[in-house]
Parts: sequence; structure tokens; C-alpha cells
Amino acid sequence: MNMIFYLAALVAISSTALVVTSRNAIHALLYLIVSLFAVALIFYVIGAPLAAALEVIIYAGAIMVLFVFVVMMLNLGEQATAQERRWLQPRIWFGPAVLAALLLAELLYVIVAGASGERTIAPVSAHDVGMSLFGAYLLAVEVSAMLLLAALVGAYHLGQRMSSAED
Amino acid sequence: MTATDFLALSPWLALTAAVLVVLLVVAIHRDHRTTTALAVIGLVASLLLVPLAAGSAPRTVTALFSIDGYALFFLVLVVLAALAVSVLAFGYCNGCEGRYEELYLLLLASTLGAAVLVASRHFASLLLGLELLSVALFALVAYPVHQKRPLEAGVKYFILAGVATAFLIFGMALVYAQLGALDFPAVAAQLTASALAGQPYLAAGVALIVAGLAFKLSLVPFHLWTPDVFEGAPAPITAFLATVSKGAVMVLLLRFLLGSGAHGSANTLTALALVGIVSMLVGNLLALMQRNLKRLLAYSSIAHMGYLLVPLTAGGEFAIETVAYYLAAYFIMTLGAFGAITIYSAPANAGELDDLEAYRGLFWQRPWLAGVFTAMLLALAGMPLTAGFVAKFYLFTAGADARLWALLGALIIGSALGLFYYLRVVVVMAGTPRQQEAPPKSILAGNVTLAALTILLLALGLYPAPLLDLIRHTSLGVLP
Repeated sequence: MNMIFYLAALVAISSTALVVTSRNAIHALLYLIVSLFAVALIFYVIGAPLAAALEVIIYAGAIMVLFVFVVMMLNLGEQATAQERRWLQPRIWFGPAVLAALLLAELLYVIVAGASGERTIAPVSAHDVGMSLFGAYLLAVEVSAMLLLAALVGAYHLGQRMSSAED
Repeated sequence: MTATDFLALSPWLALTAAVLVVLLVVAIHRDHRTTTALAVIGLVASLLLVPLAAGSAPRTVTALFSIDGYALFFLVLVVLAALAVSVLAFGYCNGCEGRYEELYLLLLASTLGAAVLVASRHFASLLLGLELLSVALFALVAYPVHQKRPLEAGVKYFILAGVATAFLIFGMALVYAQLGALDFPAVAAQLTASALAGQPYLAAGVALIVAGLAFKLSLVPFHLWTPDVFEGAPAPITAFLATVSKGAVMVLLLRFLLGSGAHGSANTLTALALVGIVSMLVGNLLALMQRNLKRLLAYSSIAHMGYLLVPLTAGGEFAIETVAYYLAAYFIMTLGAFGAITIYSAPANAGELDDLEAYRGLFWQRPWLAGVFTAMLLALAGMPLTAGFVAKFYLFTAGADARLWALLGALIIGSALGLFYYLRVVVVMAGTPRQQEAPPKSILAGNVTLAALTILLLALGLYPAPLLDLIRHTSLGVLP
């Protein structure tokens, strides 16, 4: 089990280093997704399956897809297709694919072996998280709502002015 | 949550309701005057509910908030400052191009963040309050997007505040990993001097938390963003940044540090004293060379936060009294100084009048405004008859009681330097005026605010007893 942790940590660190060193934004984002998967695996190994699932669904799923989408959108133009064709060469996706395959193999092994959480950590179920979010930490959820509202209004204002200034 | 909990939270709920009401009204009908009026009504409603909340104080509402006299005192201070900023912003923006309604919404949201900070007793509410305060401020700093300087300042503040938050969260994670607690009393119970010495991860966690908060206070190793952001932000927002944002974080740091045993550790005290000394010296020395008034006041605010580390290092009940009085005086002086810049600059679509040369001969052109500005600058320098003098007197007493001679030495050198650059501004204002300018647009609301601030400045300087009684009755007793 320790071996799995170290391998996943190695993948996380090396792919994060590649995020920083990649010149191309899309490549960096692909490595970032791999890094997030690796962190999700670490969560699973130390016995927090809910955190692992949230990591995959929210970070690797929703947020990163948004990032990739936005970066792709910024590359609109004549040469966009040619650029994308250039991006899809094997030598470019080979690196992330190998790292991701390694993680997949580990994940399958962990699931088949059924050995999640060898340490004595109390399992945290979705029910527990929900109960504390809307019980003890209800006010924190409310303050987060105001935080998101402020961020939304701020982004709306800044974005709207930019487009009107370009007219 | 019981009915009493809601009662205790009512000033905070009023601020939240004000944000939502402004949001809905702006969505239906955009009008600058209506929006400002609604924001002011919301802030006043929050103030009016404070006596109601005080009836059920002290009270711990869920694990997150502690509604005590300390929280309510600083809530009133923060809301009053937000009130002054809203009125100043109305005069500043009125008649300008563009939409200025969202500014009040963001201002209210930011004030709510500060209000959450002053009452928080848990790392979760600390983080959420700080983020609510900052996220609204990013947009406020960059509000006039068609100008280059505010946008640049907003981006700078955004990136550096993000890094500071990362430090803060990592620190919290380390503390939680070592102690298994997130609320201040439980953390404080285990955070003793011996625990800090024996557990390096715990010490690192506390250091990271203090560093994250020191960024917001722009204490010296973390001060690099301050002059650029202060210069770029619109003048009323700079006033908000210098007062509410810094004040709320200082209040929180005081509650966290003095309540815990970290204060008994010699290393912590040495670190605090070092940061304080460097902040006082660097802030005042760099302010000497500034030709831009907003940058000058930015460096002066760095120095003032350094001054506040004297009582923070001294500790004890007297530190709370000192910080409470000093923050009240600092809020008045800083709001007044930036208020004068705001009124002189408005209407300022083309840019702000923050170059020192623009103020040459202000005494002969607008004697009233120059007089108020002079009073505020002299108070910042700590001259007698103003609130600044009593505040500085408190600092010396706190430092001398705790025998912090190195800090006191830096305080004296810093104050002497401060006197020089504040007086230089006054001398420039008394110089020969440049060519006659167009008659200034008079802004009634802004002038009323400045008059109120000046009266408060002199009243607190000449007769501070009522405020001191209030501080002693409310704020003390927060220590376990």
C-alpha cells in the first residue's frame, strides 16, 4: 500500500512539474488533470473515498474541463485547426497517457484488492459531510454563498466593461 | 440555531439583507442615488441592531462566531467606516461616466466579510470572512476598468492576495494536522509555548497563518503590493482598503494570538517585535521619498500597522484597550486624509489628483479642505489636541509597561521621520498657488462626512474618556 502511495505521489509531483514547464497551455492543463487524478488516488489510499470522488468530479471533471474549454476558445481563428492537428501528435499525448495509465492500473489494483485505508482513520461518508455542512457549519455555507455572489458580481462588472471598452 | 442566535446575529443579517436588496433593486432599476441610499440604509440598520445584539452578548453562535462586546465594538467601527466610504464614493462617482451601482453592492459584501472576521472564532469563518473581504475588494480596486492604473492594481492585488491565502490555508492545515482542532479556544488550549517548541510543524503552521494575515496588514516582508494598489485604486476604495480591510484583520490577529498560548513563546514574541520594528522603519523611510500622496499614505499605513505590533507584542488586557483606541483613531485619520484626496479629485474621470504638486497652494484656493487635510496629517503624525496624540500615548504606555525598549526606539525614530513627511505636505499646501483653476464642484455629502470626521478627531483628542469607558466596558474580557 505504501508503494501505491509513493507511486501516486511521484506521478503527482512529476506531472505538476510538467505543468509548470510546459510551454503550451493545453499541454499544461492535461498534465494538471493527471496531477489531480494522482491526488484523488492518494485520498483513496488514505481512506477518504468521498474526498477522492469529489476531487475527480469537481476538480478534474468540472473545473479542468472549463479551463480546457476557455483556453480552446481563446485560440479561435484560421490557424486553430492546423494548430490542433499539431497538438494531437502522439509525442504530445504520450507523456500524460503513460502517467494516467499508471494511475489507472494502481486504482484498479486498489479496488480489486479492496484495501482502502489501512490506517485507523474514521471513514467520512457523504451523509456525515452533508450533516455537518447544513448543521454545525450552516453559517459557513451562507457566508460562502455571499462570497460567490460577490465574485459573480465582480466578474460581471469587470467582464462587461472590458467588452464595452472594445467597441 | 435558536431565536436568540438570530437576535445576536442581527447586525450581520442586516448587512447580508442589504447586499441582497441592493442586488435586486439594481437588477430592476439602475439609479446611482437610490443605490447609495439603500446601501446607507442597510449600514445604518446594522448599526441600529447592535444594541439588540448586545442584549444577548456574549454568546457563541454555532462553532463559528462569537458575538461578544469585542466583536460588536469593532463591528460598529467597521460599519461606520463603510458608511463614510459609501458617502465619499457617492460624491466621487456622481456625474461620472459608467455604471457605479455595483460598487455599493461590492462595498456592502466586503463590509460583511470584515464583520465576519471581527466575530470569528473558527478557522473556517476566518477564511471565509477574509475571502469575502478580498474577493469583493479585487473588483472594487479595479472598478474603473476603462483606466489602466486601477486595472493593473486590481490584478496585482488579486495575484498576491491569492498567494497569501494559500499560505494561510496551508498553515491552517498544518495546525489542524497537529492539534485536530479548528476553533480558536480548542487550538488555544493546546497551543502552548512548549508545544510550539516541540512540534516544528505546529510552529510552521502558526508562522504561515501569521504570514498570511500579515500580508493583509502589509507588514514589512509582505508589504510590496501596498503602494501600487493604494495608488491605482480609486481614492474612496483606497480609504476602505487602508481602514476596514486592515482593521478587521488586526482585530482577528489580536483575538487569535492573545487568546492562545503562542503569545508565551519567546520565538513568537521575537518574530512579532522584529516585524514591527522593520515595518515602522521601512514604512517611514520609504514614505520620505514619495512625491505621490497616495503612495505616501500607503507607506504611512505600513508604518502604522507596525506601531500596532507594539501592543500586540506586549499582550494582556491593556493591549486590547490600546489596539481598540488606536484603530478608532487610525480609522478617523485615514478616512479623513483619503476623504480630502477624494473630494479634491472628484469628479475624476481623467485620473486622480494624487501628485504632491497638485496640492501646491491649496490653502489659498480651498482653505477649508486644506485645513481638514492638515488636521488629519498632523493627527497621523501624533500631534497633541488630536486623537492621534492619545493613540500614540497609549502605544508608548503599552510598550513601556512591557519593557519593549527596541520596539519603543523604532517607534520614536519612526514618529520623528513621520513628522517630517507629513509636515512637508502641509508646507506644500501653504506654498504659492499655481495658476487659478476652474471653480471646484462642491460635494455636500462628502463635505459633511469630512466635517464629521474632523469633529470626531478633535473630540477624541480633547475628551477621550467616553470612548475609553466604552472600550473598557465592551472589549475587555475577551481573553480566556
